[in-house]
Amino acid sequence: MHFTTMILSSSLLTVFLILTLPILGTLNPNPTKSQWAKENVKTAVKTAFFVSLIPLFIFINEGLEVIMTNWEWMNTLMFNINISLKFDLYSVVFTPVALYVTWSILEFASWYMHNDPNMNRFFKYLLIFLIAMIILVTANNMFQLFIGWEGVGIMSFLLIGWWSGRADANTAALQAVAYNRVGDIGLILAMAWMAVNLNSWEMQQLFSLTASHDLTLPLLGLVLAATGKSAQFGLHPWLPSAMEGPTPVSALLHSSTMVVAGIFLLVRLSPMMENNPLVLSICLCLGALTTVFTATCALTQNDIKKIIAFSTSSQLGLMMVTIGLNQPYLAFLHICTHAFFKAMLFLCSGSIIHSLNDEQDIGKMGGLHQLLPLTSSCLTIGSLALTGTPFLAGFFSKDAIIEALSTSYLNAWALVLTLLATSFTAIYSLRVVFFVSMGHPRFNSLSPINENNPSVMNPLKRLAWGSILAGLLITTNITPMKPLVMTMPLTLKLAALTVTITGLLTALELASLTSQQFKTKPLPTTHHFSNMLGYFPSVIHRLIPKANLVLGQLVANQTIDQTWLEKTGPKMMTSINLPLISSTSNLQQGVIKTYFLMFFFTMILAILTLV
Amino acid sequence: MLMILTPTMMLLPMIWLSSSAHLWASVLAHSMTIALVSLSWLCLPMEAGWSSLNSFIATDPLSTPLLVLTCWLLPLMILASQNHMAKEPINRQRVYISLLTSLQIFLILAFGATEMIMFYVMFEATLIPTLIIITRWGNQTERLNAGIYFLFYTLAGSLPLLVALLVLQNSTGSLSFLTTQFSPPLQLHTEASKIWWAGCLLAFLVKMPLYGAHLWLPKAHVEAPIAGSMILAAVLLKLGGYGMMRIIIILDPLTKQLSYPFIILALWGVVMTGSICLRQTDLKSLIAYSSVSHMGLVAAGILIQTPWGFTGALILMIAHGLTSSALFCLANTNYERTHSRTMLLARGLQMVLPLLATWWFLFTLANLALPPLPNLMGELMIISSLFNWSNWTLLLTGAGTLITASYSLHMFLTTQRGPITSPVLAIEPTHTREHLLMILHLLPLLLLILKPALIWGWAL
Repeated sequence: MHFTTMILSSSLLTVFLILTLPILGTLNPNPTKSQWAKENVKTAVKTAFFVSLIPLFIFINEGLEVIMTNWEWMNTLMFNINISLKFDLYSVVFTPVALYVTWSILEFASWYMHNDPNMNRFFKYLLIFLIAMIILVTANNMFQLFIGWEGVGIMSFLLIGWWSGRADANTAALQAVAYNRVGDIGLILAMAWMAVNLNSWEMQQLFSLTASHDLTLPLLGLVLAATGKSAQFGLHPWLPSAMEGPTPVSALLHSSTMVVAGIFLLVRLSPMMENNPLVLSICLCLGALTTVFTATCALTQNDIKKIIAFSTSSQLGLMMVTIGLNQPYLAFLHICTHAFFKAMLFLCSGSIIHSLNDEQDIGKMGGLHQLLPLTSSCLTIGSLALTGTPFLAGFFSKDAIIEALSTSYLNAWALVLTLLATSFTAIYSLRVVFFVSMGHPRFNSLSPINENNPSVMNPLKRLAWGSILAGLLITTNITPMKPLVMTMPLTLKLAALTVTITGLLTALELASLTSQQFKTKPLPTTHHFSNMLGYFPSVIHRLIPKANLVLGQLVANQTIDQTWLEKTGPKMMTSINLPLISSTSNLQQGVIKTYFLMFFFTMILAILTLV
Repeated sequence: MLMILTPTMMLLPMIWLSSSAHLWASVLAHSMTIALVSLSWLCLPMEAGWSSLNSFIATDPLSTPLLVLTCWLLPLMILASQNHMAKEPINRQRVYISLLTSLQIFLILAFGATEMIMFYVMFEATLIPTLIIITRWGNQTERLNAGIYFLFYTLAGSLPLLVALLVLQNSTGSLSFLTTQFSPPLQLHTEASKIWWAGCLLAFLVKMPLYGAHLWLPKAHVEAPIAGSMILAAVLLKLGGYGMMRIIIILDPLTKQLSYPFIILALWGVVMTGSICLRQTDLKSLIAYSSVSHMGLVAAGILIQTPWGFTGALILMIAHGLTSSALFCLANTNYERTHSRTMLLARGLQMVLPLLATWWFLFTLANLALPPLPNLMGELMIISSLFNWSNWTLLLTGAGTLITASYSLHMFLTTQRGPITSPVLAIEPTHTREHLLMILHLLPLLLLILKPALIWGWAL
C-alpha cells in the first residue's frame, strides 16, 4: 500500500477510535468522575481534531482521495453491504471542521452546563452525536449513511429533550423526530429504488450504474430526505422548535452539523443529480422559497435563539439553491464556513442568556457592548460574516453562490427570492446586534454578568478566528471541482453586496424610526404573518395530527375494531346461535300433554301425506 | 435436535422433584444451559439445507433462528415471572413453570417438524398451555373473554387448514417439507382450489395476525401474565409467519393473484393499527397493537414471495420477537410497581428509575427500527421488495414508519419523561433480575448486528 494512502486512511480511523474510547469507558459500572466531561471528552475531540488535520494536509498537498472497504457485512443473493469508508474532498475537509467546532462547543458547554448534575451524560450524548455525524460524512454506501442519518436524528431527540421535565422540550423533541421521519420516507424510497433497479448501495457503483435510468423518482426521494433533515420549506418548523434544547445543542446540532446532513446527502449524491433538470429546478425553487420564508420569519422574532435558528434555516435554503444550481462544491463550501460563524453566534447567545439570568428576549437586553465586550464583539463578527461582509468567512461562499445564481439563466423567480432573503439577512442580523449590544441596558440591574472564564472566552475566540479566516483558507487551498463563471457585469458582481447594504440601510432607518417613537406600532398584517411564522405551524400542526388522531380513535379503533370487527366476528356468532339455543331450550318445559298432541298431529300429517 | 429436546422434556420431572427453595434457580439455570447449547444450531452448515435430520424433526436455515429464539425465551420468561409468582403456593408455581416448559417442547417440535401434519398438531398443541396461562394467571375477569377469543379465532382459522392438508395429502401423497419443492406442480384450476388456497393460509394469517383477524391479540396480550405476553409476542405469532413461508411454496401458481388483497390488507393494517397505537392509553395494549402493525409488514413480505421478502420477514420476526418481548417485560416492571397499565398515571419514571429509562429508550429505538438494528434490516428489505412489486406501496409503508416512530416515542415520552406523577413517588427500586432480563433481550439484538447472516434464512 502506498505510504500516504495508508497515513490518510489510518489517521481517519484513528479519529474514530479516539472519539469512541471515552464512550466505551462509560460502560464501566463505576460512576464517572465529575471532571470526566472536561478531561476525557473535550480532550478526545481536541486530539481527534489535530489528528484529522493530517489527512487534510495530505489531501491539500497531493489531492489524495481514498475509498476503503473493510468487511463484508451482509450479503443477500448478490446484494452486498460492506463496511466501506470514503475519504474524499467532502469528508476530509468536513471532519476537521466539525471537530474544530465541536471542540469549541464542548469547552463552552463545560461552562454553560456546569450546574447540571448530568453533565457527563450530556457530553456523552454530544460525543455519540459527533460520531454519528462522522459516520454519515464518511459513509461510502447508503446503509452506512442511513446509520449516521438516523443516529444524528435520535441524538437530537435526546438532546432537544434534555430538560425532560418540561413539556415544551418533549414536544419539540418529538416534533424533530416526526419531521425527520417524513424525510426518512424519502431516503427509504431512494434506497429501495436503488436496491431494486441498481442492485447496489455502494456510492461508486451507484454513480456508474445510474446513467441509463430515469432517476426522477429516487431523486425526489432524496430531495424529500434533505427537506426533512435540513428543514426546507414544508418540513421546517422543527428547527426553530428545537431551540428548546440547551444552547450548546443548538450550536452543534441545529446550526453546524446535523441540519446540514440533508444538504450533505445531496452534495454527496450530486453526480446522480446533475443530469436531471427537473429535480434541480425543484431544489432551486424549494431552496429559494425556504430562504426567503424563514428569513421573513426571522425578521420579527424576539427570542435571540429563534432569530439565529431562522437564520440557520435561511442559510440552509441558500445551500439548497446552490444544489439546484448544480454547484455542490459551493454548497459544501457554505456548509463549512457557515459552521464556524453560526456555532459562534449560538455560543454568544448562550453566553448572553447566562449572563442575563436566562433571559432570551432581545427586547430586554441592550447595551451589552459595555458589559460583555468579547461576547458582543464576537456576536458582531458573526453577524457580519453571516451577512456576507467582504473577506469574512461567509463572503467567500455566499458571494460565490449569488454570483453563480445571477449568472445562470435558470430561474429569475428564485434569483429574486434569494436576493430578497439576502437583504433580509442583513436586516435581522442588524436587529440582533442593535438590540443586544447597542443602546441602553433594559435588563434587571442585578444580572450575574461574567464572561471572564476561559471556557467562555477561548471557544469564542477560536470560532471568531474561524469566522474570519475559514473562507479564505478553504477557498485558497482547495480547487473547486466545477468551473465557476468569473466574468460578469459589475452590477451582477456587486448584486449580493448591493442588496445587503440596501437591507442594512433600511433596517437602520427602521430602527431609528422605532427608537425615536415615530412609528411605535408595526403594520399588523405583515408583522403577524412574520411573527406567527406564516401561520404555518398553527395550520399544519393542527390539521394533520388531528386528522390522524381522529382516524386512529374514531375510525380505526372505535368504528372498525370495537364495532364492526366485533359485531361481524365474535358477537355475530353469539347472536346467530343464541336464538337457536334459547328456542331449543325453551321447548323443554315438561308440558307432556302438548308434546303428545304435537306427536299425534305429526303422525296424522305423516299418514295423510303417505296415503 | 434431541440434544435440546430431551433436556427440555427432562425439565418437567426436575420442576416437580426439586425442592421448593431451589425451584426457580435450578429451572432458570437449566433452561439457560439449554438455550446456550441451542446456539450450536447456528453453527450448522446452512448451505446444505436441512441438518440434524432424523425421521421426524430437522432444522434448516429458516427454522433455526426461530428454534433458537424459542429456547432463548424460556429462561427469560422464568426470570420475568419470578416476582409475580412468588406469592403463590409452590405447587401452582410448579404447574406454571411446567406449562411454560411444555410450550417450549411443543414449539421445538412445531418448528422442527419435517411433516405438515406434525407441524399442524404441534401448532394446535401450543394453544392449550397458552390458554391455561392466560385464563388461569391473567389478572382480571376479562381474561376469560380473552381466552375464548384467542382459542376460537385460532381454531376457526386452523380447522380449514386441517381439511386443506388432508386434501393435499390425497392429491400428492406426501406432506413432507423435505420434498415439497420437488413435488409436481398441482393442477389448481377449479374454483374449489381457490378455497383450498385460502384454507391453507387462513390459519397462519389469523395467527400472525392479519389486520381484520387481529381482535384476539390485543385482548390476549393485555390479559395474559407477563410470560404469556412474552411468548405470545415473541414466538407464537411467528408460528404463523413460519407456517406461511413453509406452505406458500406449494401454492405457487395461485398465490400470485390471490395474495393481492391480503398484501393490501396487511399494509393497510400497518397504518390503521399504528394509528390506534397513537390513541392508546393502555401500555400493554399499545405494545400489542404495535405487534399487529409489525406483523402486518411481515405478512406482506411473505406474501410477496421474493427472496428479499422472505429474508426480510424472517429478520423482522426475530428482531420483533426480542423487541416486543422486552417491551412487555418493561411494561410489566411498571405494572408490578404501580398496578396499573394506564400510561398517564405513571409518568416521569426516568427520575425514579433511571437505568430502566435507558432500557425503555433502547427498546423504543428497536421498535421504531433504528439502524443498524436488525429491525431496520428487516423492515428495509420488506419495504424494498414491496416497492419492487408496486411503487405505490411506499405510501403505506412510509406512513407506517412515520406512525411507528411517533407512537414509539410517544410511549417513551409519556412513561419516562415529563413531570413525575404522585403514584410513582414511593415505588420499589429496580432489581438486578430485571436488568439481567433486559440485557438478555438486548444482547442478541446487538450481536445480530455483527453477524446478521445468522437470521438471513434461505437467501444466504
